[in-house]
Amino acid sequence: MHEHNGSGSPSFLARLGGIDRRWIFLAMGLSIALPILLKLRFPEYPGPMAKATFDAIESVPEGSTVLVAFDYDPASAAELQPMANAMVHHCASRGHKIVFMALWPLGRQLADKAIEEVLLEFHPGLRYGTDYVQLGYQAGNEGVIKLMATNVPEQYKTDTKGTPLASLPLVAQIKSTADFALIASISAGYPGAKEWVQFAESANPEAFKLVCGSTGVQVSQLLPYYPKQLDGMLVAVKGAAEYEMLVEGKYPVEKNAERLGQGRVRMGPQLVAHMLMIGLIILGNIAMVAGRSRGGAR
Amino acid sequence: MSDHGSNEPGPQVQAPRKSYRFLWLSLAVLGLSVFALRTASAAQAQGADPAAAQDLWKTIGIWCAAFMTLGILSFLYKDNPFYKVCESILIGVSAAYWMVNGFWSTLVPNLFAKLAPTTVREIALPDLPVSATPGTDMALAFVPLVLGFMLLWRLAPRGGWIAVWPLAFIIGTTAGMRLVASIEADLLAQTVATVRPLVAFDKATEAFDFWATVGAVTSVAGVLSVLTYFFFSVEHKGAVGATARLGVWFLMITFGSAFGLTVMGRITLLAQRFEFLFKEWLGIV
Repeated sequence: MHEHNGSGSPSFLARLGGIDRRWIFLAMGLSIALPILLKLRFPEYPGPMAKATFDAIESVPEGSTVLVAFDYDPASAAELQPMANAMVHHCASRGHKIVFMALWPLGRQLADKAIEEVLLEFHPGLRYGTDYVQLGYQAGNEGVIKLMATNVPEQYKTDTKGTPLASLPLVAQIKSTADFALIASISAGYPGAKEWVQFAESANPEAFKLVCGSTGVQVSQLLPYYPKQLDGMLVAVKGAAEYEMLVEGKYPVEKNAERLGQGRVRMGPQLVAHMLMIGLIILGNIAMVAGRSRGGAR
Repeated sequence: MSDHGSNEPGPQVQAPRKSYRFLWLSLAVLGLSVFALRTASAAQAQGADPAAAQDLWKTIGIWCAAFMTLGILSFLYKDNPFYKVCESILIGVSAAYWMVNGFWSTLVPNLFAKLAPTTVREIALPDLPVSATPGTDMALAFVPLVLGFMLLWRLAPRGGWIAVWPLAFIIGTTAGMRLVASIEADLLAQTVATVRPLVAFDKATEAFDFWATVGAVTSVAGVLSVLTYFFFSVEHKGAVGATARLGVWFLMITFGSAFGLTVMGRITLLAQRFEFLFKEWLGIV
């Protein structure tokens, strides 16, 4: 039922309340597509959590062994791959040795992608086995972390190439998670950063630094752990963009820099889409209040 | 855009349906034609350049991905055959993927490789390391094997109660493992993190830190008021009621921020799909 103005046609607010939702879908699509087509970029200012993550990796002595867990799959790669790329480049630039692993089946492929497109692209001198190792995926969810907290070789007998861990200099001496200087979980849910806090950090609270990158959906579950149990946290694509600023500021690359700027690219659509959404929420509420005040609310 | 959700029978409804069928058919023909042209040009290039063989398969992959993306997004306009096809493919591929993944990442390395390591090494995992204690491994592997068969027994017409025992084992071990971790990481550590000075000072200058103090007070007030809201042994009246209402405010703000973060995530996913369409599929960015 539409309310009418004096001329008999529905008023603007009444028509707004009954608008076909596909117009809203179209507007949202355009608000995301246009900034991409026009390559809109906005300045990012690193927040405290992105700085804490950056500082945690910086504070670990050069040459330390760090564990990066790719606990996500392609469904969350849009949010998490940018921060994973920046983190891999950061660790390698800082001189850390990187051990890759995954708690999600397709995390291994995403780790391989980061190794190929970032690690070997920007740090071609790194050698497998001494500078980085890919352990891959193991089934078992939090059980994997629990066993790694006490016995890494029991959980991972070989790397993804089938080489025994004892034959790889980087991980030959690794006995438990306490032997890593820093653990980073790029996490999209279960199992992920929460399980790393519960089963690794609580088992050895002072043994290593623990940082995480998280999807927006999961952040509210992880925020209570920061800063006591998580030394740093990257919050969704916004955190990725801020972290990229910090990493590229200190460790710039000469070519293919766009591989370390995906988070910032995706912040353009974020801004426009959020503006549209805020506008729609305000308009929707005005229409609702106006409808109620005239007794025309449905 | 007109609304096509009318349920009224008669010729007025049939005509638009036919026109939409024609629209979907036209889109399909157009898409397939362009896809065939692109594939043909890539295949032609393959003859001149051997490296173009990879491009051919990449072209096919990109077009499949673009078709899937547009097919799923087309549901925003209305339900249609493209969406149905893409949805069915997604469900089928996901089910098959998880089944194969479960077989190769769990059953083969954790069960079959311990029961018959030599056979598994010959036919499936040539890099399977040689165990120092194969006998013990095999004996231990019989436990999950038996429990697994017991779990599947619920599919049998009789003796469904047998499946209850492995279920009890799963629930018991999971609860035990998670209980300790939750108490340590969530209850105790979070309590310690909450007990902190309400008046904060800067660590370097030892000057009064206003915003850190606001944060500390807000944090403690939030915890206490939300706990009060979930405390149902006392009627929510007077001071208790006021504190509980404050807790509701904190909860609403939390839900709002969680929703905002979820929206941010969803926008990112759509942005990434548009990036793919514009950059890899159309090549206009």
